[in-house]
Formats: sequence, structure tokens, C-alpha cells
Amino acid sequence: MASDAELIGRSLDDDVDAFVEVVERHEAAVGSYLARRAGRDAAEDLLGEVWVAAFESRRKYDQSYDDARPWLYGVALNRLRRYWRSRPAEDLVGDVTELATGWDPWSAVDLGVDTRAVLRSALLRLKPEEREVLRLVAWEDLTAADAARALGMPAGTARRLLSQARTALRDAPGVSALLKDRNSAKERHR
Amino acid sequence: MTDELDLIGELGSAEPLRPEAYQRARAVLRAAMADPGTVRLLGPISAEDTTMETTSTMETTTTTREHESGPAIQRRRGISTLSRFGIGAGVGVAAAAAVVAVVLNSSGTGGAVAGKDSSAPASGSATVDGSTDRAPLMTLAGSIKTATPSAGDAWLVKATQVHGTKTMQVVYTLYTDGRSIYTGNSVKDIKRAITSHQDQMNAGGYAPLLRAAVAAADSSPADGRTQILKAAKDPLVGLDPVAQKAEWDREQAAAQAIIKQKGGDAKPKPYSPAAVQQHLDNALWTYSTEALSAGGGNTQVRAGVLRLLSTISAVSVTNSTTDGKATLTITAGPQLFGGEGGEVLTIDAKTGMLVKDVSTMPGLPEAATTYESSRVTTARL
Repeated sequence: MASDAELIGRSLDDDVDAFVEVVERHEAAVGSYLARRAGRDAAEDLLGEVWVAAFESRRKYDQSYDDARPWLYGVALNRLRRYWRSRPAEDLVGDVTELATGWDPWSAVDLGVDTRAVLRSALLRLKPEEREVLRLVAWEDLTAADAARALGMPAGTARRLLSQARTALRDAPGVSALLKDRNSAKERHR
Repeated sequence: MTDELDLIGELGSAEPLRPEAYQRARAVLRAAMADPGTVRLLGPISAEDTTMETTSTMETTTTTREHESGPAIQRRRGISTLSRFGIGAGVGVAAAAAVVAVVLNSSGTGGAVAGKDSSAPASGSATVDGSTDRAPLMTLAGSIKTATPSAGDAWLVKATQVHGTKTMQVVYTLYTDGRSIYTGNSVKDIKRAITSHQDQMNAGGYAPLLRAAVAAADSSPADGRTQILKAAKDPLVGLDPVAQKAEWDREQAAAQAIIKQKGGDAKPKPYSPAAVQQHLDNALWTYSTEALSAGGGNTQVRAGVLRLLSTISAVSVTNSTTDGKATLTITAGPQLFGGEGGEVLTIDAKTGMLVKDVSTMPGLPEAATTYESSRVTTARL
């Protein structure tokens, strides 16, 4: 199977179907990313614009990377930034935990509303760049190095930001107790 | 062992996108690939580009398209997208290519307008050969202008554009009886367009064509042709024979230069009144059908376009039946497109509303758009 890099290379030689194949490989992941950050309705509006933006900037793609997903997250994040700036403040959703349509009720049951509040508060205490790296790693399952690609920063910087974010989370009020509860509950069920 | 990343990960659940959203996004991409103008509208956004742009014309799918260049240039460059007008442009890709093809064509037969060589078509004058065959268009144009609309206060049209077997896009357009046009990829988009006053009749990039089509509903055929060709900024319309030949030669030279740059070799097509007439007929078909696709729910646009199409000698009209409904089939054969390809419109025989538009061009997948029209009440959308 051709790598994303090969397909993007072919698209530069006017093989447009090759780029569509890249899109098809990553559309579910990028769609979910957009939905987590802006809600499903906005995500559905934005997805096509992300593909157009990616297609337009594919010449800048570093073909030494086989997997295009981190790059596509970066394109999507830039589109999200434009979207957020274009919306009235009252329309914006600050965090995925505020999204009525995006909320998984079973997670809510498992975690409990108080848990959500604790975690939301902890996230808000992080620096924006720490939050971005953390979200990409925790939600999109990227490595720190891939998150760095998405955010256009050195891998070492992303690793440092992730480490800082994790430390800050562990130290945040309530999180330590939450982890202790979770892990002791698991111990009891063994 | 649960750690802080696991906890945060549990917050990341989101409702998945609907399957049609992925399809629509891919359609947007494919349309943009075919029309770099769409990409220009969006502006490049790469992972490296994190600067804020102050405005975007693509913040929603109900975007109004405004261009510095005229619609004729847009049309000639390829498929337009992300608006109602993409449908027409997409379906008419063969015709669009043919506008150029007619100019570049080396055959120079001028066969479509045989017998019209005696005088220069200085203002895109109407041809009359076989006009009886096209009389149903004039008749229908007259009747729909005076017809009272049925229930509701608007036409809601769903247009589905398919190239080959690939669905390129689905576009909804609301044409109010008050002559406003709102468009988007969903009814929700239309409501948003109404709220933000994005009336394509006034604000869209194709507004000049729509206005010309409206004018054609009450103009003489010759005046109607001239108006829409001028609205489309056709370079030959309205010139006297001397100026027309100079412009023709200039365009041929420019075309030759492009062909040469691309390694091609084609003889220039010599100027003749017949060749000019063929060019003007092709342009008239292209821009008229664009206007019909963009504004066909507007009675005046529809009537005007039908009158314009009735002036093209290479167009034939036959009675037909589509899904049990009386329809007219309007056929533009290869002679209108430099000898290759064709386009067939099917319209409702009573209302004149578009039912289907099929465009063919050798080497390209068939482009077909199906239109589903219904009367609605805007407030109940």
C-alpha cells in the first residue's frame, strides 16, 4: 500500500485521486478531531475546508514522513483558529466537556459530573500550548513528536510541554485524589 | 493503572460526523481541485500558516462569491464550487471548455451557422434558422411569466451533481417569489443565508448574468443576446467587423502562444463572420445555462433564458416525458461546442423548471445534475 507521502507526491503530478485517497484514510480521525474541538455541526461545515486547505498546501508537505495525519491535524487546527476568530464569543464552546451534542452519557456516568468539573478546571490551568499538545496526545493518540509536527514546533519542545502539562495535571486540585480513587478501585477489583 | 492522560482522554468523546458530511467534504475537495479559484477564495492554510486572516469568504457554506473578474472568466477557467453556481458550472464543463475550443479550433468550418457569412455578427445578432423548432421555448417563456405560482412563497430546489458515478455535490437553493436567491449545502445553510442577507440575486458573482437574463425576458431576442454577452464580458460582442477581426486575431495569437508553451501545435482559426457567430452562440449557451442553473427558480430568469436559448440555431427542442411528467428536452449538439461533446437540458413543460442537465465531452466522465423542485413556505423551512 502506498504511503501518504507517496500519494501526496502523486497528487503533485496531477493525480487528484491520490489526494482523495489520503483524505479517505484520515477523514474519520480529522472529523472527530474537529468535532471534539468545535462540536459536530461546525465540524461538518469545516471538514471540506480543511481538505481544500490541505490540498492547496500539499507542496509544503515533508515527504520524509510517511504518515500525513499529524500534518492534517495541523491544517485542521489552523482552520479551527480561523473559525473561532470568526465567531461571536458567545457562540464559542470553550471545551469539549461543554458540548451538549458531543457528550457521551456513559462516560459521564462513569466519571461523574464532579470528575468532569475537576478535570475541566485542571485543563484550564494549563498554558494554551500545553493544552494543545496534551489534547493531541490524549485525544488523538499522537506521540509527542507527532504532536510537534501538527503544531509546527520542535519535537523536544512538545515533549517538554507534555511533561509540564502532565505534572501540572497531577498537581491540580482534585486530580491526585481522583487518580488515587481510580487506581485503588481497580486494586479492589483484582 | 490509570494516569492523568487516561483521565483527560475520557473527556475526549465526541459525537461522530454523519456519513453524508464526509461525502460532502470530499465533494468540496474535488470541486476545489477542478477550480483553483475556490482555493483562492479560501486562501492557503497550511500547518505552517498560523497567521490570522481578517476575513474569509468561506466561513460557512452559504458564502457569497464575489470576484474581481467577471463571470465569463470564471466560467472559462473551470468548475465553480461551493455555491449554487457550482452546479451549473460543473455540469457545463464541456460547454465551458468549448468556449475556448471554439476560439482555438483549427477546423474553422463555421458549420453551425451555414448561410450566415454575408454580414458580420457585430452585436451577436440572433440566428433564425429552424426557429420554428425552438418555438416551444418562446411559448413557454410567455406562459410562465404570467402563471400564478402554486402554494407557498418560494421554490426549494435540491440539485445533485454527479460526474460519472461520483457525487460531486448536493446543493439546496431557495428562490423566493420576492426574487431573492439563497443557497447552501443544506436547508440550515439557507436559513443562515437568509439571516445574513446573502441574496445571490444581488450579491453573488453571477448577479450580472442573472440581471441580464431577467432583462432578456422582456427584450427583443437580439437585445437580450447582446445584454447577456456583455454582462459576461465577451470580448467580441458589440464590436464592428474591423474591431472584431482585430480582437479575434489577438485572441488567436494569445491562444497560439499558450498552445506552443504547452508543446502543442494547432493552426490558428481564421476570422470569419461565421466563426464569430459560432463563438457567440457557444458563449450564449454557456452563460444562459449558467444563469438558468443559478437562478432558474426565479420566473424572470427562467423566462429570459428560454428566450435566449431559442435564438441559437444549433439548439433543438423536443417533447419528452420524465418520470411521468411532461418535459421539454433542449439539445445543444456538438456543432455548438467546436465539434465535440454536447449538453442536454430537460425542463418541466409547464413550469420551465430544470429537471436534468447532462453534459458530455469526449475523455471526461458524463456530468449530470438532477434537480428536485418543490414549492415551500419560507417561514416554515
